Amino acid sequence: MRNLALALPCLLAVACGGDFSNDDLEFQNALPQREDLAAKLPDSARAGQGLGTHVQRLSASQVLGGTSELALQAYQAGTRFNTSVDRLLSLLELVRDARPSTRETDRRIWGPFPAKDHPGQELRFVMERQDADFAYLLQFRPKGSGEDAWWTYLPGAFKADGGIRKGTGTLALDLKEARAHGLKTGDAMALDRLDIDYQTKALPTSVELLFTAAGAATPDTRYASRQTPEGLGEMAFRLPGVDFVPGNLTETLDIVARWTPDGRGVLVLNILAGDAKGAQYTECWDAGTRITFMQRNWDFLNPTEGNRSTCPDVSALDLVP
Amino acid sequence: MSDGPVKQGLAPVAAWARALATAMRASLPALVLASTAAHADTLHRFALIAGNDTGGADTRPLSYARDDARKMHDLLTRLGGVSPADAKLLLDDDAKDFLLALSDLEQRARAAQARGERTALFVYYSGHAKDGALRLGDSRLAFDALKRRLADAPVDIRIAILDSCRSGALTRTKGARKAPAFDVESGAARDARGVVILTSSAADEDSQESDALGGSYFSHHLASGLLGDADRSGDGRVTLFEAYSHAYARTVADTADSSAGPQHPTFSYDLAGNGDLVLTDLRASAEGLVVPGNAPAGSYYFVDPAGLVVAELDKAVDAERRVALAPGTYRVKRRLNDRLRIGEVEVARGRTTILQEPRFKDAPFSDDPVKGAMRDRGAWWAFGLTGGFQSFFDAQTRQSLFLSVPLFGAEAELHDYFRRDWVWGFDAAVGGTNSVLTLSTLEGPAYRYSVVNVGTSLTAEWPVGRVAPFVGVRVAYLIMGRKFDDGAFPDQRFAMVSPGLATGARFQLTRHLNLTARTRLQYLQYTVDAQRSLGFWELAALLTYQP
Repeated sequence: MRNLALALPCLLAVACGGDFSNDDLEFQNALPQREDLAAKLPDSARAGQGLGTHVQRLSASQVLGGTSELALQAYQAGTRFNTSVDRLLSLLELVRDARPSTRETDRRIWGPFPAKDHPGQELRFVMERQDADFAYLLQFRPKGSGEDAWWTYLPGAFKADGGIRKGTGTLALDLKEARAHGLKTGDAMALDRLDIDYQTKALPTSVELLFTAAGAATPDTRYASRQTPEGLGEMAFRLPGVDFVPGNLTETLDIVARWTPDGRGVLVLNILAGDAKGAQYTECWDAGTRITFMQRNWDFLNPTEGNRSTCPDVSALDLVP
Repeated sequence: MSDGPVKQGLAPVAAWARALATAMRASLPALVLASTAAHADTLHRFALIAGNDTGGADTRPLSYARDDARKMHDLLTRLGGVSPADAKLLLDDDAKDFLLALSDLEQRARAAQARGERTALFVYYSGHAKDGALRLGDSRLAFDALKRRLADAPVDIRIAILDSCRSGALTRTKGARKAPAFDVESGAARDARGVVILTSSAADEDSQESDALGGSYFSHHLASGLLGDADRSGDGRVTLFEAYSHAYARTVADTADSSAGPQHPTFSYDLAGNGDLVLTDLRASAEGLVVPGNAPAGSYYFVDPAGLVVAELDKAVDAERRVALAPGTYRVKRRLNDRLRIGEVEVARGRTTILQEPRFKDAPFSDDPVKGAMRDRGAWWAFGLTGGFQSFFDAQTRQSLFLSVPLFGAEAELHDYFRRDWVWGFDAAVGGTNSVLTLSTLEGPAYRYSVVNVGTSLTAEWPVGRVAPFVGVRVAYLIMGRKFDDGAFPDQRFAMVSPGLATGARFQLTRHLNLTARTRLQYLQYTVDAQRSLGFWELAALLTYQP
């Protein structure tokens, strides 16, 4: 029995330690979750009904009571938006539930780990904190190389506002740098960079995706999403080079679509350039994505069809945080 | 009464004690008055038997005072001619209860006298005595007051048997002294006629208990003598003088080698006109054990199923002896120089059993049926439930890291294993609470915090009366964890060995129940975010049961 008494503390001493850390939680809190960044789509949109693949021409199919092609296009844009967000966030899964490999004051490092999708490479995730400002880097380097060989594939930052993932943040995917270091970027070959800016500290929360095409100096495609806790969603995006109306020129479209959780919505389309520059088209639809109201600013004879009162109240999204 | 050394068995009487016994036997005829069995048979006997393990704040609790009282009560009502209705057994009662019970018996005795009956009153007490008074728990009963009360009792014969430290002070003035029985003078010229006082020790001695005997030396040998071992005359009756002479010789012999030194019982009597008194009639009960004359001579020990020697017998050659054992199964041990002879005997109710020594088997000393070494060391277990509270000293820690929580658990205590009054404890407790995390950059996540706390401790107690303050060390293993309602935050856990100190006091509520109030101070090395030395305290109440 005495031997047991001596052995027991030794045995327990081996099983000491753990991950009980407040600092770890604060670092975790600086990383965005999918629900923070993903566009909130109606259930009908998530079911994927009739999603087209391209913005179609404004045509005779836009009739009162007919299916709102533009609504479907907006939902499709939201789905693509979420796909892009998911792709980027999947890179952060590495540190979601894993203990940091290194804990230092105001600094955490996960890794290095072998990069499964990129043979010959290893990766690490580094987070640093200064007061309420967090910065993080997903870095790669060729296996066996030195400390200077680390290059950054995904930089990010977050300024905490105190609440659960409340604050403002940015993160990006540097595809150009990845390709320069020999990483394959798959179907993102046409992009040099994807940037995400978001804010979750005030309502409505907002997320903006900026796509920089290969060779471009500045972002040329923008998707912005805003949402409220009640389920109102907004998707704003600008699409250049769309043959939206008959003519010689292609149009640059600026689209803002808003919807309610039950699938009703309102969309405002402005043509910024092209054959119908200056034109504005407004459309409302019901839960079945059927058009209930249309307004064309270029049609002096019959500018509106349907009843404007059928348009849902999405004014909560008018607030600018 | 102090704690005597533990005897591995009942050692043979030391050489000097044997010489003493021989002298006693030679002197007894000159002393012993004609045994007036007829008187005994017509006496209406009353008995007040009290046992109290506690003696107030400045004494250590005894282990067997109440057991001694129970044995004596059983013996007097079974063999001593005391009707159960005329016997009062007080266990852990105070002086007031003692005197009330005495008054009740006196009243009955007075009524018996009024009916023309001769009466005798036995008063037996086992417990503490100090500073000229019996200690019954926190209360006291002065020797002088007891003597006066006995002297005034409306009975014809008063017999007081006091098994307590320095009880000899009660007989000092009666002329008794640390001397063998045959030197005790008759109290013919003393002030209290018809008064007999037996004490377990002299006025300057402690009375000693034995774990092997499960009682005090004196009471054990007195009881064993009354069961038959003291029946030197072989007439089936044990007289007062026989019983005392036997208890004296055996008590002195058994305590001769103890650290407290030999213990000398004393005897004061004034039975002028009453002669000797039969205390037990071995044939009063139909059942019993007869050791036939042809059984080998020597010392026989009768061991109950609990491993305690309940009676002994020193048999002479060709002498038939009777031992008035209560119905039950006993192991019988006969000790030889090189081995034991061990057998089993069943004493059936209403029947006399004859001991068949030839059926005994030889056994090595290691097979002694008397309780083993563990019992001799007095180790005992207690099991309990605990409730308490744990909190870290550092405010920030207890608010956002390791929260203050209530704890509930179970404990086991091994007392007197390493040494007397040392307690080896084993404890396990769990606790938990719900909270909301509040950090500088993160506020709001709700979570469940939980603690598992297992430990072992070694404490030393200093029993004083019913209270035993203690202090000691403890090593604990703590597992703390928290689980967040928001799945985005991972469950967290931390485990660490924690050394600490424990102090408090144990209160004996009843013979089997103890209530402990305890404080622990523990050290915890936190190693996750940084190396931090933390301290926490625990307050707890523990209710233990001692089987």
